[in-house]
Order: sequence, then structure tokens, then C-alpha cells
Amino acid sequence: MSESAGANAPKPSSSVKLVLLGEAAVGKSSLVLRFVNNDFQENKEPTIGAAFLTQKCTLPTRTIKFEIWDTAGQERFASLAPMYYRNAQAALVVYDVTKPSSLTKAKHWVAELQRQASPGIVIALVGNKLDLTNDGGDASAAPEPENESAGADGDEAAEEGEGHDASSGNARKVSTREANTYAEEESLLFFETSAKTGTNVVDVFTAIANAIPESSLKTGRGAAGSGQTALGARSGDDSRVNLGERNAATAKEGCAC
Amino acid sequence: MSWSSFVQKAQSLIDPANFNIPSLSSDNHNPSKASLFRQQFRLPDSQNPLQEITADLVLPLPNTASSGEGPRKVNRPGNRYTGRLHLSERFICFSTQPTSFLPSSTLSASTNFTGQTHGTGPSGNGFTLPLSCIRRVERLHSASHVFSLALTTWNGLLNKQQEPNFVPQRLILQLVGSRQACERFCDCLKKGLREGMKEVDNLRSVVSDCYSEYLLSGARGKPLEEQGENARPPPDAGLGMLFRYPGDARKLRDRSKMRLWGEYFRENGRNATLVRQPTFHKLIRVGLPNRLRGEIWELSSGSFFLRLRSPKLYQETLAQFQGQESLAIDEIEKDLNRSLPEYPGFQSEEGIGRLRRVLTAYSWTNAEIGYCQAMNIVVAALLIYTSESQAFFLLSMLCDRLLPGYYSTTMYGTLLDQKVFESLVEKTMPVLWEHLAKSDVQLSVVSLPWFLSLYINSMPLVFAFRVLDVFFLEGPKVLFQVGLAILRVNGEELLDIQDDGSFISVLKSYFSRLDESAHPRSENPKLRAITRFQELMVVAFKEFSGITHSTIVEQREKHKDAVLESIESFAKRTSIRNLGPESKRLSVDDLGTIYDRFYDTLYQWQQHQRLVEEERKRQEKKKSERLSTLGPPANAEMGRVGLGPSPTHMDYDAFREFLAATSKWAVSDTPAGSRKDSQGYSSLRGPNKSLLWANRRQPADHEFMQRLYRKWSTDPEEGLNLQNVVNGLARLKGSPDIMNNINYFFDLYDDSGNGQVDREGILKISEALLFLSRRGFEGTITATQSLEDLNGISDREHAEQNRLTVDERFLGSVSAFIRRCFEYADPSHPENQKAAKQDGATEVTEKLDSFAIGDDEEDLIDVDDNKENKSSPPEASQPAASTEAARHRSTSESANPALDPNNPLHITLPTFRMVVLADELLEQFFESYFPQSFHLSDYPHPAALAASSSLSSNLTTFSNIGSAKPSNVTAAGAVSVAGASGGIVPPGKGLRGVLDNIVTDGIRMAAEVKKRMDEAQRDLERNALGREEDDEEDDEDDFRRGSAAAMAGGISSWGAGAYGADPQRGGVRDADRDLLEGAEVVSVRGKDEASSLLDVKEGADKPDTGGNGNDISAHDAEVVSKVVEFES
Repeated sequence: MSESAGANAPKPSSSVKLVLLGEAAVGKSSLVLRFVNNDFQENKEPTIGAAFLTQKCTLPTRTIKFEIWDTAGQERFASLAPMYYRNAQAALVVYDVTKPSSLTKAKHWVAELQRQASPGIVIALVGNKLDLTNDGGDASAAPEPENESAGADGDEAAEEGEGHDASSGNARKVSTREANTYAEEESLLFFETSAKTGTNVVDVFTAIANAIPESSLKTGRGAAGSGQTALGARSGDDSRVNLGERNAATAKEGCAC
Repeated sequence: MSWSSFVQKAQSLIDPANFNIPSLSSDNHNPSKASLFRQQFRLPDSQNPLQEITADLVLPLPNTASSGEGPRKVNRPGNRYTGRLHLSERFICFSTQPTSFLPSSTLSASTNFTGQTHGTGPSGNGFTLPLSCIRRVERLHSASHVFSLALTTWNGLLNKQQEPNFVPQRLILQLVGSRQACERFCDCLKKGLREGMKEVDNLRSVVSDCYSEYLLSGARGKPLEEQGENARPPPDAGLGMLFRYPGDARKLRDRSKMRLWGEYFRENGRNATLVRQPTFHKLIRVGLPNRLRGEIWELSSGSFFLRLRSPKLYQETLAQFQGQESLAIDEIEKDLNRSLPEYPGFQSEEGIGRLRRVLTAYSWTNAEIGYCQAMNIVVAALLIYTSESQAFFLLSMLCDRLLPGYYSTTMYGTLLDQKVFESLVEKTMPVLWEHLAKSDVQLSVVSLPWFLSLYINSMPLVFAFRVLDVFFLEGPKVLFQVGLAILRVNGEELLDIQDDGSFISVLKSYFSRLDESAHPRSENPKLRAITRFQELMVVAFKEFSGITHSTIVEQREKHKDAVLESIESFAKRTSIRNLGPESKRLSVDDLGTIYDRFYDTLYQWQQHQRLVEEERKRQEKKKSERLSTLGPPANAEMGRVGLGPSPTHMDYDAFREFLAATSKWAVSDTPAGSRKDSQGYSSLRGPNKSLLWANRRQPADHEFMQRLYRKWSTDPEEGLNLQNVVNGLARLKGSPDIMNNINYFFDLYDDSGNGQVDREGILKISEALLFLSRRGFEGTITATQSLEDLNGISDREHAEQNRLTVDERFLGSVSAFIRRCFEYADPSHPENQKAAKQDGATEVTEKLDSFAIGDDEEDLIDVDDNKENKSSPPEASQPAASTEAARHRSTSESANPALDPNNPLHITLPTFRMVVLADELLEQFFESYFPQSFHLSDYPHPAALAASSSLSSNLTTFSNIGSAKPSNVTAAGAVSVAGASGGIVPPGKGLRGVLDNIVTDGIRMAAEVKKRMDEAQRDLERNALGREEDDEEDDEDDFRRGSAAAMAGGISSWGAGAYGADPQRGGVRDADRDLLEGAEVVSVRGKDEASSLLDVKEGADKPDTGGNGNDISAHDAEVVSKVVEFES
């Protein structure tokens, strides 16, 4: 994986359980891949139940290790969701800016989380696929187009096919104002992102990290030097996440945030 | 229950390793004996246990045994098995697991196979033969009184080519039992064989697809792998034939395994005619050879029998739905490229195409499941070893039997098995369990994919397939055993983990090193050679041998309710949130109540329907087996939300049930048993539930309810969904606005949608008002008004109304309502309509002005027939024709032009409003009673009330009124009009008597109105015919008939129920049934005649020519010993 420089002065480190929810094909997995790998890889394994990934995020005062549960998108897996958002401290509720129904679904997830998840959960509403709109994509330009289209959106590559064709025009169907108003009403963090171009992706996670109240952090866990450094990895060849050596305490710089 | 859990606890404390759950004495789950029978022998749902008898199975020794080779003796300790012989419609099964499915047998006798099976799976040693593959049955003469049968099968004879050294398969069965019992069994077998003969063609085609057939036909002492010269290409044994099978064939000892299987087949039959001996199960344990894997999976899981039954189903399904689209297909398409992408076959269009077709075909045959992610992985794995058709039937076996509920729309089976798994871990590995809990690691998030994708996604493929080999033979318990073993083997490392991440990573690395030596540093080379996977298998099946099928069944039963409840509460939250803006007018509690009641009603209703349906089937002598071989099991518990796709729409009858649970007025007045659907029901002697159902509140059936139903539904054909009901209730209860409620009520009766309600409608409204109020107002209406309003009620009744109740006054209000409606109604003639429209507004105000003093007018209806002098309303200017008619009629008793059918009139919404608002009680009715009569969360469930006390004690009944009894409607109508019984309160009846009287009055009043109308109509007709007869008797008859019809038609349907059409319907149904039965008799007779002509080779005591002569040279002693080694 990416950055693994030795930290001279280990900051207080804590882990945060984060769950991704949202309608199928809004790009949940792509967002996580962008955040964790800062890259796109072909998603070799379909998400059964949920995929687990970790990534560190370094703030000026502390290090946050995100334990990310990326849930399966198919509708019927929704009834498994409570298993994954149990004890979650943060949630990313993702919708697709080109698909109004996905915002409706996102609202349902927000309501579900507000009622059922742990109190004080930090929820971020994320409108993905900004690259398909006029105002998106320009920020990060469009680098290496063929690379993007090859493995761009991972598991959702198939259904985004049409989207790519339309990317020249403005496919936006959910206005920023509408979503933002809703987010303000519900006091959610709000971002519009593009997992394809990387726009705003890291910002989302940084904002979440900042929004987690100090008090709710489990500081006893994940501190550098403890026995807990073997990070989850999906498999040997597909190293989306840091695969640390056992008992080799390597504090890692987080993402570029 | 508590005792057994105590025992469990004690046992796990004493020796967690040998933890064993006491054999289940289940009283809370009781699957039918037939379904247990099908489970044991993996038979299709169409099969039922018909006959059974204790028997010995004697297998002739192969002649090579004389050579006296050691390993053979090890492999085949004996050729005589004692067990039980079963017969179903199409199968004869023998098992050494002594089970019994007789109606008299105990549960433990029927569930015997769910205990420890020592690696043989539920069906043990023996055979499961389709009757179609029995060629001949002989009764053997024997010196002793042993009743012996010899079965000769089609084994190896279906191919045109004769195999060299072929010996027909012959099984000797010695029945143990009375001569009578033996004869009975044989008779039944005879019948079955005749039927079975028809399926020999199916058998031939299915068998020819079997690789075993190819293997034996081409064997001829040549190497198996290079069969090229045969004209017939080898049968499809999966994508592996094109893209290689996973793993190193040499390392897997594929060739040796193939030779062993070849030998086994020669001695014990192949595919349909296979006999299971201990070697069979051992050969499965050590891993199946590539080319036979699919076939053995089919045989051991029972999907082979599904394919045998309908060999063309797969192709036909594909053809039938060719080109059609569905949601499932879209979802399948998304996942095709990520199903075992590492296998070369699934990087090609060939593999992807097969996967697409199998998943699509299944989604069509089982639309309830459709497609669920993870099925793609499982099917992809199957397709490496099986043909498309084989994979299709295996998938259906998985979804219906082996993994029930796993892939359903709620995935309750998956969640349930996770709960079961967690509880097993807690019991068998308490220390680890506590550590996981302490570390806040939820085991199921890790283990869920193991179960959902059968380890295919977790372990390297070669090992996952080894697990599958055993899984198909032994059933779902294998998944649990392997899961527990994984945790046990990694126990120490897992005790070090702190969070989800490290937990996952420990297991990931374990899975990636399954092929390494389990004891790399051991001195003993034999020990060193044992791989981690072998170690895992030993731990799974030895250490956790106590985890049996019954353990799983018991645990599932234990956790089922909790799991379903959590799914249902999730579904409830979700769907209440999805109800949209209209629903916001109701409180969340109200919505919750509606939701619960809606689905509870649907569920109950469906259970009820199912029982009725079952009863009907039973009456058809259940001659017909289930036609479709696939699809959800017939006896599944349907309709519960948590179990997957449940009905989402209620029909009118279910809606009545819903209303009866919501509003008092919707409860029928007749006690249980007289309504149409309880008719078929009362004859049921089913489970306890039927009693509950029969004792529940019976919903009424009133025209008002039908109107409500039509009003609420978006599509009356489809029924009401939750959204419809919520919207309907939200409009009624959502805003405390009287105008809204009045408008709504008016709308209900505005049939033409033009803002007008005609005469009929006015009468119906009044009927509805009486219907709705007949159980009192629950204190929502208080009368402050003087008696003025009631002046229309007859003098005779005035005497009784000294103690005026609200209910009585309301009756007066309704009476006044009708009068005023007619008074202020507009004529419906087109020419007048124009005028009415022009000055409609002024007219209304005028009316309102004049209305203030309208109270002291005479009532329209006077029971004592003293209203000849009724003045005609000023608005009703009559056309010439009708005035003439009216003049004719003026001599008769009905002079009221408002009742003149020839003089159509209507009221508009403003008029309706005005009339309602003019009366305090009606105003209160619409303001508070009507909306509040729909009880949601603010009121205990009426059903609970009805259950706690008997129906009659807390609800008004009409049992004391003749008119409520369907049988004597005519008489009752006449009596009530004559006013003979109306006002009499039997002593001691108290309030209820009073209420009954009021309702009787209502009936009388409405009947009277009808009567007048009918008479007027008759007068008209008579006049038109120019006949001036005035026969009183005739009149009376007509009148009776007329009023009876009126009662049945509308007014009294709340009292008398829907009896009108009913007897007829019941009669028709009976006739149908008779017809069916008749047809059945005929067809059975026909069949008997036909079959007696058939020449069934059976009972001919012809000595068989060759019991032996088999010459097997290909015997690999070395490998056999290896097999044993593998196993240890």
C-alpha cells in the first residue's frame, strides 16, 4: 500500500468503526477503494455481506484508524445492515447525484441510523458520481482516461457504462441545494464526490475524523506498539489495505489528509 | 426446555470437546412425517411414505472376492444389512438408519436419521431406487418362511452397447414381518412398478448424461482419460473439461480415485441404481474425482431425482422465458463478471454464458427468490463440475432444502444460521466466545460469507469443493462443523485478537495456508504429510461429530422467532418510513399499529386460506401429486414478513378481517360458522389454529365496507396494499376536520363521480349510518338536543322512548336525514339540471335559510302509514308523464314523489353537508365518532378483547332478532315491517335489548323505504301494462319478496351477512367437487383396466441365470490403503 513512513512522535491513535450504506450501484465500494488505495482496482471479489477494509487518517492532533464495513448493495442484503452498523461511530450514506431514487433511499438509511444506531453516530451524506455532472470532474480534470474506464468504478462498472457515455453532458438529477438543505435539517455532514476522479473523497473521511467527538474514541485500542498491528487484508494478492507484520509495530502515516 | 439447556450446560462444562446435545424431544416443531421421509432420502416433494417394512438387504458377493484380497474385506465388511425398506409413489428406499414414518410411529422413530450418522448422511447405507429403474421383481422360493424378493435393475442395460462381462444388478431383500404385511408391501410395490414403467424413457435420457455411464461403457480395460474412439462424446462434466479443473490432478490423486469409483460402480451400480455401502461414503470423504464430482453431488443431494422427474425442465424454462426481462436478470448481469473471476472458464463467454443461463432459469422457476448475490458464486463453482441442467437442479435443491431461506428476499435463513452458529460457538468454545464478546467482535460478520457462499469464497477452491462433497451428502450441519473447526484450530491465535480487523486477518491467513503441513516440524513423516485441511476435516467431523442435524434443527427452532422478529421490526421501520407524505398525518404509533394489523391480517388470512385449500385437496383424495417438481416446498410457513416475499395485497375478504380488527362496527353480528368462508372451514379438523380462527371475531360484510375497499384501493383487482390502507386511514383520521369527513363520506357514495348521489345512494348512506352506529358510539356523541328531532318516530314507539338514549336519538337523526335529503334533493332531469346549475349557489343558500325551520316538518317515513298527505317538495317539478303516474299512485298508499322511481333525483355535496350539519348528532357523528371508530394505537386490539371474553358478552348481537337469521329473512322482513316484534324488549335484556330494538327499527325503517319504492315501481309497471288489479294477497307476496330482496341486497347485510349468494356458491362448489370425484373414479377405473393389460414382469419365479461372473481386474490395492490413510 501507500504511505508507511515511520512516525517519529506517535500521536494518540484510535480506531473508528465506519459503515457505508446506500442503494446498489451508487459507488460505495469505489469510494472506499479511492480512499484506501487512492486508486481503482478491479474488484475481484463481490461483496458478500460486507467487505472489511482499514485505513488510517492522520489529523494534526491524533491518528484515526478507520475500520470500514462496505456493505453489499443488493436490496435484500439490507436486512443484514443492522449487523454492520451495530456500534458504528460513523456512517457514510451514499447516493448517486444522477439518480433521485438513490437520495430517497439514502434518507431512509439516515432515518434508520438516527433511530437504531449508536447515539452520537456521525453521519455523512455523500452524493457520488460528481464526474457525470458539469460542475464535477473539472476539479481533478480527467487523468488517464483509459485507466479510469478499465477499472474505474469497480463492482459498479457494469451499470455505470451508460453513465460514462453521458459524461460529456450534465446527467445531474439531484441538485446540490436539495441535498444540502436536507443534510442541514438532519445535521449531517454533506459532500458531493467523485470516486472516479477522486474529488472530495479524502475530504469526506477527514471531515468525519474531525467530527468524531474525542470522548467517543476508544483510545485503548489500536495504539501504536500494542499487539494490534496486523491489519485486515482481503487477500494476499489484492492488498487493498495495509498488511502489517505481526508484532512489528509500524506506525503509519495516514492518508493524505 | 430449561432442563435440557441445563444438561447441555453441564455437559459442556464437563467436557466441551465431547459436547453433545441430548436427542431432541421437540414439541414446538413438528414437521410432517412425509417431509421427514423426503428429507431422509432426499426425495422430491411429490413423494410420500406409503409402505414400510423391516428388511434385510443381501448383496451378492462379487466373484472376485474369491481371490481373497485383503483390502476388499476391509472395504466391505459384510454384504448383509438390516434396515428398513420404504416405498413411496415412485421410489423404493432402503436404509440402515432405522426410521419409521408410519402415522403411529413416534417422533424419535421418524427423526432417527437426524442424529449421528457416522459419515453416511441421513440415508445411511442402502439404496434410493426410482421404481422406473427396476426391471424385474421376483419372489424367491425359500425353504424357510422367509419372504424374499429379488430386484433386478436396469443398471447398465439402458445403453445399446453391451458392456463386457456385464452382470445384471440383482438385490435380494428379505422382508421381516407378518405374511400379511409382506403381501401388502408387495401389492403396493406392484402398483408403483406399473407407474414406474412409464418413466423408463426419462431414465434412459437422464442416465445417458451421467459420466459414470460413459466411464463404464468405455472402460474396457483402457486408460480412462483417453477415450477417443467412441462415437459418442463424453457427457458434459462441467467447465473443467474445457478449462481444466482446479487443483493439480496428480496431487489430488484423481486417477486413483477414478479407478476406485469405477470399481465401486461395477459392484454396486451407478447413478440411478447405485447402492450405498460404507465405501461410498468413504470415497466421498476423501474427495471426489473431477469428472464424477457433479454426478455424485447430484446423487447424494437428491437433485438427481428432480432431474429424473423432469429432464427437460431446464431447457424448457429457458425457452419459455426467452427474451423476457426481469429485475433478477438485471441483477444477475451485474455480477456475471465477478463470479470466480480467477477461474479461466469465467473469463470466457462460454463460462459466463452458462452462468447467466442457469441463474436466469432458476430466477424464473422460483420468482420468490429470484436472484441473490452469492448465488452467482455458488453456481459458478457448481458449473466447473456439472452441466447446466445439473447445476440448475442442484441450485434448486440448495435453495429449497439444504439452505432454506438463505437467499430469500429477507435472507432470514442466513441470519438464523448465524445465530445458530454463534450459539454453538458459545456452547462449544466458551472461552473464545467470551473473548470475542469482550473485544467487541461480532462473529457473524465474519462467518456469514462462509455459510452464504458455502466456503467457496473463503477457502481456496480445491478445499471448498472438498467441503461441498461432504455437504451434499450430509447436509447443512457440515457447514457448522467446519465453521466450528476453523475457530477451534485457530483458537489460540484468535484469543489474541483485539478487533474485527485482526480477527479477519488471522482467518484470512489461515485459509491461504490450508495446503501446508499441519505439523511441519514433526519427526514423523506421516504426521508431517497431514495438511492443515486434513486436520480441519478431522476436527470438524470427529471433534464436532456431536453437531448433528437435529442439533441444528433444534437450534434453528430456538432462535427462529427472535430472528424473524428482528427482521420484521427492521422491515416495519423501513416500510413505515417509505409510506410517503400522506402517512405523516398519522402518528408513528398509529402507523405501527396499522402495519402490524395489516400484515397480521394478511398472515392469518393466508394461513386460513391454506388450510381451506389443504382441506380441498384432501377431499380430492390427493390423487394428484404436485405437478411442479421445483419451487418452494408446499408446506412452508408462508406469509410471515420475515420469511421472505409475503403477500402485500389484501383482497376484499382480508380487508374485512382488517376492518373487524380495527372497528367495532365491522364485526359481524352472527356468531362464527354461518359465514361463507367459515363454512368450508368448520369442517376442518386441522391444527389448533383452526379453532382459534373459528372462534375469532367474524367480520361483517356490508356495502359500506365494499365502498371503502373500492375507495382505498388503486386497483380493486389487485387488492389493497399497506400504502392504500395508510392513505385511506390518513384521510379519515389524519385531520380532525368535519368537512373533510363529510366530503369523504359523500365521495364514497358518489358512484358516477359527478358530485351527485341519487335516491338509491341516499338510502344506502342512511343504511351505512345505521350500520356504523349499531354498536353504540363509545361515548363520542352526546345528545343535548331536545326531542324535536324525533318527532317522526311513531307514537307507539314514543312511549318506549321516554328513556331516550343517544342511539335512539341517532336513529331519529338518520330518519330525519332521509327525509331532508329527499326534501332538498335536486331532480336529475337534464333540462332541470341546467337550471339547477345556474342558480345552484343561491338555491343552496335558500335551502339553508329555509332549513332552520324544517325540523317540525313531518317525517318522511312513518311506520304507522299515516303520511298520505305528504307535501311534495317545491323543487321537484315533475314532467307531465310522471305527474300522470303520480296521480295514478295517489290512490295507493305511496304518494310521496320523492319515492317515485320515475322521478330521479340526487343530492349534491353542499346539500349533503347542509343536511348533516343541521343535525347535532349527525354532526357529531362525522366530527368525532366516524373517524374515531377506526381504532389504531389509541385502543386495544379488538381481537384481544374478543379473545379474552366471548364475542357475545361484549358486543351486541342480533341473535334475538329474527331478521338476523338468514334462514327466515322473508318472514323477518314481513314481521318487522308489521311492527310486531320491533319494540318489544324481552325482560332482562337490558341495554343490549334496547340497542337491538334500535337496530330493528333501523331495519324496519329501511325496509319500509324499500317497500314503498318497490310498490311504487310495481304500480308503475302495472299501470304501464294497463292492469288495474289490486289483489291484496298478490301484493303481500310481492311485498315480501321485495323486502326480502332489499334486505339481502343492502340494508340487512350487516345483520344477515352475505348469505344471499352463499348457499348457491357452496352448492356449486359441492357440485364441482362431485364432478371431480366422479372424474377421478372414472380415471382410476380406466387406469386399472389399462394397467391390467400391461405385462409387468413381476412375480414370475424365473430363476436368474447369472448371479455372478463379474471380472474386475482394475483393482488398486495401494490406493485403497491410501484412502484409509486419508481418512484417519
